[in-house]
Amino acid sequence: MRESRLTRSIQLAGLAMVVGACGSGDGGASRAAGPWMLEASLAEAGAGVPFCEEVTANVSAFMSQFEGQMPPSERYGGTAVVGSIGEIPNGMNNHISQDYTASQHQNFVNLMTLVQYDEDLNPVAYLAESWDVSDDNSEITFHIRNDVYWHDGELTDAYDVAYTFKRAIDPETAFPNTAFWTHYDKGPEGVEVVDSFTVKFRMRPHADFIDPWRATAIMPEHLLADVPSAMLGQHPFGMVCPVGNGPFIFVEHRQNSSWTFQANPAFPHDLGGRPFVDRYVYRSISEPTTLLTELLTEGLSVYIRPTPDQAQAILDSDAVDLLQYPFRDYVLVGWNSRRPQLADKRVRQALTRGTNRQEIVEALLQGQGTVANGSIPPFHWAYDGSSSEDVMSYDQNAARALLDAAGWVDRDGDGVRENASGERLSISIKYNDGNDLRQDIAEIMQAQLAEIGVEIAPTVVEWGTLISQISDPVDRDFDGVVIGWVVEYKLDDTDLFHSSSLSGTYGWAGTQRPDIDRLLDQLPLVVDREKAKPLWREYQELLVDEQPYTFFYFPDRIDGVSKGLNAVVMDSRGEWLNIKDWWISVDRR
Amino acid sequence: MVRRLLGAIPLVLGIATIIFFVVNLAPGDPALRFLNPNMTPEVLEQIRVNMGLDQPVHIRYVRWIGALARGDLGFSFTSNRPVLDIIKELLPNTLVLSATAIGVAFLLGILLGIVQAVRQYSLLDSVASIVGLFFYSMPSFWLALMMVLVFGLFAYQGQWFIQFPPSGMQSVDYAFLSPMAKVQDRLMHLALPATSLALVLAAGIARYTRSSMLEVIRQDFVRTARAKGLSEPVVIFKHALRNALIPVITLLGLYLPFLFSGTVFIESVFAWPGMGKLVVDSILERDYPVIMGGTLIFAMMVVVGNLVADVLYAVVDPRIRYD
Amino acid sequence: MTDAGFETSDLRVDPTGSGPNRSVGRGRGGVVLSAILPGVPQLLVGRWGVGGLGLIVWTALLAVLLTRWTRFAAGWGGPLDHQIASLTVVAGLLGVWGWSMFDVSRPAEVKRTGVGQWSLAAKAFEKNRIAVLGLIVVVCVYLIALVTPLVTPHDPATQASLVTARLVPPGGEFPLGTDHLARDVFSRIMYGARISLSIGFVAVGISVTIGTLLGAVSGYLGGWVDTVVMRFVDMVISFPRLVLLITIVALFDSNSIFMIMAVLGFTQWPGTTRIVRGEVLSLREREFIEAARALGFSRSRIILRHVIPNVLAPVIVASTLGIGNVIVLEAGLSFLGMGLQPPTPSWGSMVADGRDHLLAAWWISTFPGLAIVLTVVAFNLVGDGLRDAFDPRLRT
Repeated sequence: MRESRLTRSIQLAGLAMVVGACGSGDGGASRAAGPWMLEASLAEAGAGVPFCEEVTANVSAFMSQFEGQMPPSERYGGTAVVGSIGEIPNGMNNHISQDYTASQHQNFVNLMTLVQYDEDLNPVAYLAESWDVSDDNSEITFHIRNDVYWHDGELTDAYDVAYTFKRAIDPETAFPNTAFWTHYDKGPEGVEVVDSFTVKFRMRPHADFIDPWRATAIMPEHLLADVPSAMLGQHPFGMVCPVGNGPFIFVEHRQNSSWTFQANPAFPHDLGGRPFVDRYVYRSISEPTTLLTELLTEGLSVYIRPTPDQAQAILDSDAVDLLQYPFRDYVLVGWNSRRPQLADKRVRQALTRGTNRQEIVEALLQGQGTVANGSIPPFHWAYDGSSSEDVMSYDQNAARALLDAAGWVDRDGDGVRENASGERLSISIKYNDGNDLRQDIAEIMQAQLAEIGVEIAPTVVEWGTLISQISDPVDRDFDGVVIGWVVEYKLDDTDLFHSSSLSGTYGWAGTQRPDIDRLLDQLPLVVDREKAKPLWREYQELLVDEQPYTFFYFPDRIDGVSKGLNAVVMDSRGEWLNIKDWWISVDRR
Repeated sequence: MVRRLLGAIPLVLGIATIIFFVVNLAPGDPALRFLNPNMTPEVLEQIRVNMGLDQPVHIRYVRWIGALARGDLGFSFTSNRPVLDIIKELLPNTLVLSATAIGVAFLLGILLGIVQAVRQYSLLDSVASIVGLFFYSMPSFWLALMMVLVFGLFAYQGQWFIQFPPSGMQSVDYAFLSPMAKVQDRLMHLALPATSLALVLAAGIARYTRSSMLEVIRQDFVRTARAKGLSEPVVIFKHALRNALIPVITLLGLYLPFLFSGTVFIESVFAWPGMGKLVVDSILERDYPVIMGGTLIFAMMVVVGNLVADVLYAVVDPRIRYD
Repeated sequence: MTDAGFETSDLRVDPTGSGPNRSVGRGRGGVVLSAILPGVPQLLVGRWGVGGLGLIVWTALLAVLLTRWTRFAAGWGGPLDHQIASLTVVAGLLGVWGWSMFDVSRPAEVKRTGVGQWSLAAKAFEKNRIAVLGLIVVVCVYLIALVTPLVTPHDPATQASLVTARLVPPGGEFPLGTDHLARDVFSRIMYGARISLSIGFVAVGISVTIGTLLGAVSGYLGGWVDTVVMRFVDMVISFPRLVLLITIVALFDSNSIFMIMAVLGFTQWPGTTRIVRGEVLSLREREFIEAARALGFSRSRIILRHVIPNVLAPVIVASTLGIGNVIVLEAGLSFLGMGLQPPTPSWGSMVADGRDHLLAAWWISTFPGLAIVLTVVAFNLVGDGLRDAFDPRLRT
């Protein structure tokens, strides 16, 4: 029964593909060189109409040979449904994608990375069976598994790895995470395919050099090699007919609605073999209340990131569990130190000390988070909170003293401080629409800082506009901005706080401190973690002193998970981390 | 008629131009959506080039209009698909939803309006007005949320005899259902969103039907009809209704654009993959080609809808002539 | 058939009648009563609509004056909205009192002579109880909006302690509970009344003016004027309004109330234009317009004096629907995250912000939602009543 389902739905997907392909068909073939495009067409590049049709047929054919091979265990079967707010931008196309949900699906669902992290964030084998690092840390050689098949039947090999790397360093691709390869040798010597399953990279010794291979899913060379780099973004591979090599086979994508995947029976036995669930469906639902309703009525197995206030309803339910774990994003208020009223670090320190961040975490996040004093998440090996924990704690009197010392005093008795020339200490805080927590933060700061004589004006701006206002090196049209960063495991704040980034996109704060510059220059090249730790500690202390941002908090991530779904592990590595091990209780299928 | 249809071409061109410039002159840079600290400025520039944003606005306009003439709406920035493909996929969903809603709303509204007019100032009239107004006055997203909570969540928790799926167009196991079950599945998923949308519309239609019915009922020819001894239903439905429907038909043309805003909210709440939400999402994400393509399609639908309403108008009211 | 239809001879009779007991309450006793409790004499003669309205306004304002005397007195030197609030109290009290006294002491005959369309309509309106009820609600909401600074128990933007006073259920210190930022929902609703009402009123004012004029001109003149106007209308009406709204809000980088009013107003009118034109199209074939034309009246005179008065009824229906539409649309904008700048509370943004808490704290979005519904329903009832009242064929 189950087996026949498997092929049937693959064929169904095939049908859908044909229809879709007709659309993109003449679109893709003759009109791809539309108004936005370079004067090359996908048809010439070998894609277009036949691509999806052919690929889907190949997947069907390859998978049909596994029909009837059902592992005899109770755990196999059922459909896991994950619901989240948005669509998966760029789909399975790792060449151009950097979206969090997209990379989760690339890395854990449909495609594979060379290595994965274990729970202690040490690299372990995945697509790469093993790897060697030369003694001088300038060469890394990966040995690729020889039993991983693309879903259309081709073997995954070293050429795919080399291909993925070459695409990523090709400027025309516009691979978003170029910083991964800063110290990799991007010349012709940089990558070498030793044999079909061995590939070697050369680089300058640097910290966490293996990290990019945890984050970059390997792409199929045999399908995409002919596509010009600049055209990759328009290739139907990403959104219409992805072909991966991971534990789940792509079945169907319905725009703005759902992605359906099917267990891959050919997934290597050593890596766990065929996933337990028959099918995995990702649904995008934009309204939190609807998501919660779906979860509570068992329409969803997992609700990704409910709002903090929904946590209680989830805890109250018998059918659903709440998972909570620290994550690696943080919320901050960035201060533009180019503005006269924010140029003095004492003012920025006062703004931080005048805001009760602990109360905000407790009230707004329902305690699901940790107050941040720097950019390094508490679970990271480089984190050292000992020095900075209490320095920036909430203290209105300390904040007042700092403002007095900086020359801001309420001279006319209107409740707002002025400087010697009579300018009011008035600061606007911008935030983007559609993010309630950020709006709340701006409004709370407005209320709390009014008590120490600082006038805050919360200003909502549409996201795209906000980004261009704060990122334009000439204008920097903001005083303060509420925004969030996701931290990668490989830490590097050069773009944020190094004086060389002053006119860069992210040099929002306008920080210019030689001592910070020195550390930021030094740190990326320290390979040994034990040698790096004291430097990171020094860096964190300097950040606290400088206060380029009021670091707000690291929110814990929460997810609602149906009690019928077993073996779910979620942590800072992501929600889809062990999706191949999820299994559904028999009575919930 | 053909002339009017041809006359619609400059109209659509005008709309397309407005759309293009409104969208492209707005501040903000679509490429910045891809911003991330691991990215060098060169990459950002390359993304702009790949999107075609490195060209000046007037060049982009000429290219866009040129492509439009060939039926090409360009590529989505965020979805990496031809805009036309996306629209082909989502437009039918919106049409199903709004056609059902409009159908239900007109049926409900006209019936209610007739009853109210015939029984003017009765208790029934007042109650119907107030209940209708109640739904009309509610923000539609709120009504939709209530629907989700009541018929989705509470019905499930209370194990009511009827429960509706809170969201989506079909179940996740739709592909494995029998044909009959498929139809039922689709209808069940359609029920809540279509009702939410229809309730808001029906009140307005009922009002208009009532008003125009009241006017017509008091006119001489209706009196004549009654005097001839025709039965009341014949008088109402055969003589009065036809005349009373004239202003109601204009509503059809009026409601088409309204449906866009209506569907935005309904589609958001019920996770209905349709055009309204597509366009609003793409505004927030600055996906220019999708904004322009989607808006244009909507605009064209409205233009066609208005033409149809005009024709209907002439059909039912012979006093109006089109040359 | 006469011109406006209002002077048809069989309607010249005072439709409200004037039975013998209509004179009760007039005279010395009435004057005294009116001096103490304006509105009561009118109530006694069965004119419960105006009477009730007067009495409610009078007592409400008096109560404000007495219970909030300190705030009232302080209001004169305070910020503008505070001054307006105090002024409203004084003006409202004097106005109601003066009107009642005048009404009571006025000889009955004076009133009888009022048989113009407005006084006929007013009388017909007064008979329509449900519409009067709507009017009372509308007036009350406006009063609340005006005197808000005097009566709210809390400042709408100030937060009580985030830890202790967050999401407090209705009752006690916070009659309608607090929201997720520990702000008093009741006070915010009262402040929100000002915002939502102004948005609705100004936007509809803009749109009705443009819409009626364009529709009448276009429908009456026909020809190329009609073509041009209607093509333009088609263009505006075809453009999905939300797209325009959101894009402009983003373009001007400001969600200021004036911007939202203006944008809503300037995108609302095509509907009115179409309705008016539709009416005018069939109207211009009617005899009295032909007659006016034959008499050689100028076009502008025919349009202003003969056409527009005859299309007022549908315009009024359209604008009452419009006010509701605008208030609700503003809520929709908030739902999409494009609402007003915080901490300004509009009802719409309160509903939208509170919706995440529907299960845990239903009161945050439910009460402002009810405020929207109540107000919009009231506006619509008034509009319906007016429509019936204006229409001579419905005055039975």
